[in-house]
Amino acid sequence: MNLIDIRNLSIELQTATKPILAVDRVNLTMKEGEVRGLVGESGSGKSLLAQAIVGVLDDKWKVDADRFHWRGQDLMRLSPEERKVIISKDVAMIFQEPMACLDPTTTIGEQLEEAVDTEQLTGFFWQKRQQRKQAAITLLHKVGIKKHEVCVKSFPHQLTDALCQRVMIAMALARRPILLIADEPTAAMESTNQGQIFRLLASLNQLKNMSILLISHDLENVTHWTNSITVMYSGQFVEAGTTEQIFSQPYHPYTRALVDSSPKANMQIPSKSRLMTLPGSIPVLQHLPIGCRLGPRCPRAQQKCVRAPKIKNFHSQQVSCHFPLKDNYS
Amino acid sequence: MSKVLLQVINLSKSYKDKNYWLNRKSVAALAPISFDIMAHKTLAIVGETGSGKSTLAKLLVGAELPTTGHIRLNGQTLEPGNFKQRCQHVRMIFQDSGTTLNPSLTIEQLLDEPLQLNTDLDEAARHQLIRGTLQKVGLLADHMSFYPHMFSGGQKQRISLARAIILKPQVIILDEALASLDPSLRSQMINLLLDLQQQMGLAFILISHNLGIVRHFSDEMIVLCKGEVLEVGKTNEILQQPKHKYTKKLIMSQHFQLLHR
Repeated sequence: MNLIDIRNLSIELQTATKPILAVDRVNLTMKEGEVRGLVGESGSGKSLLAQAIVGVLDDKWKVDADRFHWRGQDLMRLSPEERKVIISKDVAMIFQEPMACLDPTTTIGEQLEEAVDTEQLTGFFWQKRQQRKQAAITLLHKVGIKKHEVCVKSFPHQLTDALCQRVMIAMALARRPILLIADEPTAAMESTNQGQIFRLLASLNQLKNMSILLISHDLENVTHWTNSITVMYSGQFVEAGTTEQIFSQPYHPYTRALVDSSPKANMQIPSKSRLMTLPGSIPVLQHLPIGCRLGPRCPRAQQKCVRAPKIKNFHSQQVSCHFPLKDNYS
Repeated sequence: MSKVLLQVINLSKSYKDKNYWLNRKSVAALAPISFDIMAHKTLAIVGETGSGKSTLAKLLVGAELPTTGHIRLNGQTLEPGNFKQRCQHVRMIFQDSGTTLNPSLTIEQLLDEPLQLNTDLDEAARHQLIRGTLQKVGLLADHMSFYPHMFSGGQKQRISLARAIILKPQVIILDEALASLDPSLRSQMINLLLDLQQQMGLAFILISHNLGIVRHFSDEMIVLCKGEVLEVGKTNEILQQPKHKYTKKLIMSQHFQLLHR
């Protein structure tokens, strides 16, 4: 059974003049225990999609979907309150800048205790207080912080970025979520610290069977840690498949360009040679091209591309393109 | 055969800790370092935060005074306080290009500033030079009357590149200049930099922690850790056969071998 199954999710920004379609009919499915990468450059709507799943978008944004199933349950039929109960119980999210997300005026210990689920505590209030403290310490141990005495007493600014991110993950684990959404968890970090955080997420995934939606702007950073990848561009769905498929035989010209432009993935090309790129830059939200939004930059674009393409399926690899690169690999 | 362009001899930097006025302690940010750069070549500097790579960049560009050592450009010593001489030949591009451009000036005014301060060209010649430089970095002459907020991130990075090359420098320091760009724009920028290097014979000093870019872009590299130089040599040799444990760890942490197919 699929953990989450989203079909044709659109997010519209209501402005004074006319609504802007920021995310245009995106599909996302995740199996239980899967690590899925959600890759897209800036302005591709990947963070918006994550926020729409968690339900933290405000009234300016209008979210619409054909199907939104959570473990077989249709969330579209429920009222917003009921939906919130289910989502907040099972889904947790961690953010890009851990230090900015933690409260700078209180200690890590207090913030962690606040996050501990009250339903897990039993007994009288003095017993509860003790249990709450203990739960916070256990959470810190779970994310690999051994010196909990120091950590509990310190303020966010006294810890390093990687430690703060661990604390954020600890808070996310407090309610024992089934799905963890990690929105660029390592964006502002050193490569060695990035490794630590990714290893922690991978071990949580394997030990607790927690599914992870890993959001990143860079394809090359996440490939090692993901089972499957969904690629987005400028608010549109581009391609989805297993990591192996995306890397070795991308069907969409955009995915192809992403893989080719990554210096890390092209170790065999001589150094200082020209990298393959797409011309032009990412369109801004106010001036989006019609149809396939890659159109103006795409090397294979033809007249047909002014209409948005239908999603095609090749061996469980989904592509949204009129002219997929399927002849290249036969 | 290309000649030695920039020669760094025994350059080091240490900061005094002012708290101990009797027992003055000093913190070494950068141990003595020596290297040469040729024209048309790129030197990469790799290391974590606190490894002294940004200190090295600041020393080279003249923002900090070195504790010991000196820098020679074409055999001529660069004086620590002489910015007029230095900023014509050594230029720098920063990571966050958006915040290094003055938001209240148009692109023409932005690019005009270094010309007014460092050259004695008249207005028409300056205008012509700005026009040519913008074309070199792939922008249009029409962009001259635009303000920085009208550009996207990749274009802003191109403007800071234009500002760097407008004085026809010999060395450009790229301090994490490629890190904050999106992948498709980053490869455009790498291509542009490589083209400019060929045309103008520039030497680049690339400060980066993305080893993929370092491998693709640089000829030689220096690995720094806590201000100490761990390895110096050809990029290919170091990446294929790292000698030091720290370098191995750095390479492992970026899963270099994994994508090697």
